[in-house]
Amino acid sequence: MTGATATQAARLLAAAARRRRLRVDPMGAALTALTLVAALAFFFPLYWALVTTVKPEVEVVRPGLRLWPETFTLEACAFVLTNSRILVWYLNSVVTSVAVTLLVILSSLLAGYALSQIAFPGRRLLYGMILASFIVPISALIVNHFLLVHRLGLLDSWAGIVLPQLIHPVVIIVYKQFFDAIPKEYREAAVVDGAGHFQLLFRIFLPMTTSVTAALAIITLISAWNNFLWPFLAQNSQEMMNVTVGITQVREAYGIRYARETASAVIAGLPMVMLNLVFQRQITRAIVLSGGIKA
Amino acid sequence: MPQVEFEKVGKSFGALAVMRELSFRIEDGEFAVLVGPSGCGKSTLLRMLAGLEEITAGEIRIAGRAVNDLPAKDRDIAMVFQSYALYPHMRVVENMGFSLRLRRAPKAAIAERVGAAARTLGLDRLLERYPRELSGGQRQRVAMGRALVRSPSVFLFDEPLSNLDAKLRVQMRTELRHLHQKLGATTIYVTHDQVEAMTMADRIVMMRDGAIEQVGRPLEIYDRPANHFVAGFIGSPAMNVLPGRIRAGADPAVALDGGGVLPLGHVPSLAPGRAVAVGIRPEHLRPDPDGPLLAEVEVIEPTGAETDLSCRCGGQPLMVALRDRGSYRPGQTLRLAPHAGPVHLFDAETSARLTHPESMIQEYDDDRHETRNG
Repeated sequence: MTGATATQAARLLAAAARRRRLRVDPMGAALTALTLVAALAFFFPLYWALVTTVKPEVEVVRPGLRLWPETFTLEACAFVLTNSRILVWYLNSVVTSVAVTLLVILSSLLAGYALSQIAFPGRRLLYGMILASFIVPISALIVNHFLLVHRLGLLDSWAGIVLPQLIHPVVIIVYKQFFDAIPKEYREAAVVDGAGHFQLLFRIFLPMTTSVTAALAIITLISAWNNFLWPFLAQNSQEMMNVTVGITQVREAYGIRYARETASAVIAGLPMVMLNLVFQRQITRAIVLSGGIKA
Repeated sequence: MPQVEFEKVGKSFGALAVMRELSFRIEDGEFAVLVGPSGCGKSTLLRMLAGLEEITAGEIRIAGRAVNDLPAKDRDIAMVFQSYALYPHMRVVENMGFSLRLRRAPKAAIAERVGAAARTLGLDRLLERYPRELSGGQRQRVAMGRALVRSPSVFLFDEPLSNLDAKLRVQMRTELRHLHQKLGATTIYVTHDQVEAMTMADRIVMMRDGAIEQVGRPLEIYDRPANHFVAGFIGSPAMNVLPGRIRAGADPAVALDGGGVLPLGHVPSLAPGRAVAVGIRPEHLRPDPDGPLLAEVEVIEPTGAETDLSCRCGGQPLMVALRDRGSYRPGQTLRLAPHAGPVHLFDAETSARLTHPESMIQEYDDDRHETRNG
């Protein structure tokens, strides 16, 4: 290439690059703007709750919209932590949510494996029933659950909170689909190697689906932690309340104090916010996995 | 005592029988290859032996013991899968030792046997790697290593080389054969590649549509194919098959439908006028000015070592494989004659072999050969 054509080519390339830099994609810009607005709309209530928590009550009830507090105080948080039973409620929530998560994962793992890998009579029927269970929303069964747990004498106990929450067909279905997708050679290789069902499940299949298990465990934990309706019905004594139910007591005991209420809500939601931040990728994955299945 | 025996083994799904009365045996230390086109049932047969597929009739015996109702893990076999099926979450060393860990072997024994297998296969430096960090050939070797540590009485290979590129396949073929010679373990190997079958096998089991077409040593099958199908499957380029009829007269000969009369060196006692198919291997044809076959060259494929001529003879395709490079051109007409090899005769209707031109092929010292039709 001669020097002249090289210079010309360089000039043309530079011009093309300039055009690329200047070109604005109107559709892309509009979508970005829309996403930003939506993100702000989602973020604002959270921001408002946080800001209210650190305002003194007088500032909260003063008319007018102030986006930034004039005075910072942790009075509301301190009050909630020292004057309510929030630490006990926390403990209840931790115990019941972790128990629900562990039991749901374990039982769904076993059920998903059996449905996917073991030919037994009635397998299709059973799977059909699990799929059909989506038709009935949990809230429609809540009276039955209440009567059952009452008869079992489990109201106001951790077991009473945990048991009805173990119904999680979506986790079974996701596991079944994942086990279905594992190439059959892995199973056969392990069978020839001498593995039985439990060894196949826990030493081959489970380690091959750790990311799925992590994602399912996190969404199960979050939904158990955030569950309100069932714990609200099943727990009457302050000693046994979950944090989601307990925070409603803050208002009942001390009247409407917005700063204290938002403080208790913020404290109650904190662990889940942290989980969300740490496990963002797994949560997104779990939503994608159960997308189209979750009732 | 034969190491593996199939006796009238069958498999059916309801009323549909996909395999009927398969019987053959594989001697101790033999390298047997099950070969046939896709869907012929060779992999199913191997899986039946492995205990991964149920059989619905007959009996399979390993070392004299019926294994029909024995779970896979108790059959004393090890299997290498086409996809290798290396557990992705385990390192090479764990993959290889998995079966021994399941059997609760002492740690020292596992380490020793994995180490020995790794040395045999040259995997010493890869033991800490995960399968995803290995090349195709290395994975193949790990899969073999996993089988090796078990020291089973029978090794099963299900198309283990099909995922490798051509060069590596040839290399692994030699390595596998070498390994077999070293270990002397009974091996059953499934492939659809007739070259693999010919080069690796002590004994070939040729299958089609759930049935065994022929069992025998590679050259025996090559030289005396039991029928038209085996003749066409084994050998590359495939055997030429030309339709014709037995000619009446003093000298035994076949009048080819496409024109020309092919004298037969051997005298078959066949009725004049009987419809037959004449099989001639491409490498047994030579240009000959007095040759009985008149062919027109269509395509010339020089491979360096030989020159393949794709011709047409009386409307029928005819392949000729010549050792010389010659100067051939498309459109050229050639007179050809079968030289240096047998002319095979098959029944036109049943496709079964009609002749054994013993005088024209080498004799075999193996008295164990079995052929269904031959």
